[in-house]
Amino acid sequence: MAKNKVSFKLKSNLSELDALCQKLEKFGQSKGLSKKCIFEANLALDELFTNIISYGFDDKNDHTISITISLQNDELVFSIEDDGVPFNPTKVETPDLECTIEECRIGGLGIHLAKNLMDEVCYQRCNDKNILTLRKNIKETETQKKRVKG
Amino acid sequence: MEIIEENQSGINIYKLNGRLDSNTSQGFEKKIFQAIDDGSKSMIIDFKNLDYISSAGLRVILKATKALKREDGKIMLCDMQDYVKEVFEIAGFDSFLPIVGSMDDALNAF
Repeated sequence: MAKNKVSFKLKSNLSELDALCQKLEKFGQSKGLSKKCIFEANLALDELFTNIISYGFDDKNDHTISITISLQNDELVFSIEDDGVPFNPTKVETPDLECTIEECRIGGLGIHLAKNLMDEVCYQRCNDKNILTLRKNIKETETQKKRVKG
Repeated sequence: MEIIEENQSGINIYKLNGRLDSNTSQGFEKKIFQAIDDGSKSMIIDFKNLDYISSAGLRVILKATKALKREDGKIMLCDMQDYVKEVFEIAGFDSFLPIVGSMDDALNAF
């Protein structure tokens, strides 16, 4: 029986996206998760990780981002922890999705995707760290839940 | 990500293979905008073998579409896997980007 929980650390560098993908695929496959489910989890983690790298650090030092993935009772739970500047992505405004191509702005889109692909995204600031907790019910994933835009 | 470039009746075709994310989107953006600078006005992006796209990838597609529109050009996106298409839908991009099922449909649009 494969472990129900994996933890790993990533450097504050976009090149770590490949390692993130590999860790997630390995965990997902060991649990028999669907390709679609692994894809959606990958995208949500990618967007939040990329966001931390792009805006989270106001110095040039190397930082470490800790990720934990676990599966409990049909629920995938992810945690992303960084020591960057305080930032709550759940408060970022949703981009206007009804816009025309000329008006379309891309800001906030990554976070919008992450929020849509997860059932819950929670933010905490604790001991000078940003802690994001993401939850995804994997039973629901298989039954094409209706997307709510906006 | 591997990008296979072809030209068919003056249409630049880009076949994407792999993952279009923050790491690979810059290379793709460079290629597309080089072609636009060189006067290309017709493009097809084939998503058949694209396994993954993030907002960084969406950003390049949006930027290219806007640039071609300004030049009175045209871009078509074709053959997306369901979960790749879903990303365009969640982003609301499916309402203004020309997404079609197959390469034939894309070619017929020109």
